[in-house]
Amino acid sequence: MKSWNITGKILPALVTLVYSFLWVPVIILIVFSFSNDKYGIGWKGFTLGWYSEILNNVAVRNALETSLIIAIITVVVSTVAGTLTAYGLYKYKFRGKEILRMSLLLPIVMPYIVTAGALLVFFTRVAHIPLGYPSILIAHISFSTPLAVFVILGRMQRIDWTLEEASIDLGADRLTTWRKITIPLLLPAIIASAVLIFPWSLGDFTVTFFVAGAGTTTLPIYVFSALRWGETATINAIGAIFVALPVICLLLVTLLQRKGVRKSW
Amino acid sequence: MYLPSVGPVSIWNILFVIAPLGFILYFSFLTAGPFGRIVPIFTLENYLALARATVAEVFLRTLLFAFTTNMLCLLIGYPLAYFIVMYGGRWRIPLLFLVILPSWTSYLIRLYAIRTLFGRAGLINSALLSLGLISSPLEILYTPSAVVFGLVYGWLPLMVLPIYASLVGLDPYLLEASADLGATSFRRFFTVTLPLTKGGILAGTILVLVPCIGDFLVPMLMGGAGAFMAGNLAYLYFITAANIPAGSTIGIALTVIVLLILYLCIKSGGKETTERIV
Repeated sequence: MKSWNITGKILPALVTLVYSFLWVPVIILIVFSFSNDKYGIGWKGFTLGWYSEILNNVAVRNALETSLIIAIITVVVSTVAGTLTAYGLYKYKFRGKEILRMSLLLPIVMPYIVTAGALLVFFTRVAHIPLGYPSILIAHISFSTPLAVFVILGRMQRIDWTLEEASIDLGADRLTTWRKITIPLLLPAIIASAVLIFPWSLGDFTVTFFVAGAGTTTLPIYVFSALRWGETATINAIGAIFVALPVICLLLVTLLQRKGVRKSW
Repeated sequence: MYLPSVGPVSIWNILFVIAPLGFILYFSFLTAGPFGRIVPIFTLENYLALARATVAEVFLRTLLFAFTTNMLCLLIGYPLAYFIVMYGGRWRIPLLFLVILPSWTSYLIRLYAIRTLFGRAGLINSALLSLGLISSPLEILYTPSAVVFGLVYGWLPLMVLPIYASLVGLDPYLLEASADLGATSFRRFFTVTLPLTKGGILAGTILVLVPCIGDFLVPMLMGGAGAFMAGNLAYLYFITAANIPAGSTIGIALTVIVLLILYLCIKSGGKETTERIV
């Protein structure tokens, strides 16, 4: 009996369709970012005008600056905090370990609207933390640190810990061991988490919008209000940057890893 | 020795993750006063309001959209992951990244991208018009199907990743053995491959269902009046109306739904599901 073969033609066709489904909209977005159409929805000849508009438009530039400052601080704080926490979770037994693990899972498994809404209420009604940079940073760090923790924990389960023991046996103190052995071993995971967190922090709308208040505009919030007022011209160019960013991050990391491999030969 | 490493984040999470959730639970039992005030008078009114037809309808719609999205993501994502694992060869990792990368791009921007594509003056309508297939632009957006389409577009990558991991971990000898024992490829898939990747499927289900249940952006940008979801209700109360007790109640209701889904998925998916979520 001839078996029913779905893999022959249907599967590749479906796969092609899904890849197009995922990529065609963003590719069109990038193409239109070079189009001389002031509504940004058709092709009317090539221009770089929208990109220079981004640089010249004070509102866009400020939003970009705000987003970059927040993303950079978030990446630094959450990778450092994530490394420390993952190390503690991996190495030590302590009371409340399961509670800590659960509290790290919460921001990942809860809908954004619940956690973001809860943070907003907490900031404005309980802790009286000013909305703006402080609230956005707290929110972003709360959402990114768990990501860093779990990415780094995953790596910890695979690395050779005898190297750390050897370093201590050979007389190095804890700090030197961390600096020379532990951190270099964990570095790929630390970089990987940074690569995840940076685009997330830069591109997040939901959480940021909830806790931003009126005065602070990040790039996605700018895009959202521009959409509302129907000023869609520069959005394609801003969008193209958002699409390109994770791709660039990924390529950089791959390149760095390749170099690292060559060095170790 | 453990305190310096886990202390800071423990305190941080108690302050900024656990306490805020505790406070919305508390506020959900209080009364809303004028000008966004919270009056400390105990009431169950906020919870009773959930049972009102208009609100219940929003919650039912939310669940319907979320489960439909999840089924579509599974029906599309499973064959895709299967293809990458079985036929990807040395292109496995690049192919996987081509699925995941869009999900690292700003969600808002991606939704904007499909909105321009399907809008009244968008590329699809202009193409159909110039081909003479339609005489006036189609209203593709602002329908319930458009919302499900947007949700699938947004969250499909998260379904593929855990299923991919599950399929990669599959023991090839099991498939070989079942083939040797005379199972057709069809039967082999449904009796061996599919049950053994249950953990990945349920992890993907969690990763897709949960954000869909809380989404407000897709209905806001592509849904119109008939597609109002629970997330929009929370947005309305928290941001627009500053009715904190009502907003908190929506938040708690969503939390209960999500915890129930987590419990059911982890219970039937076991350890593998928990491991594949993060």
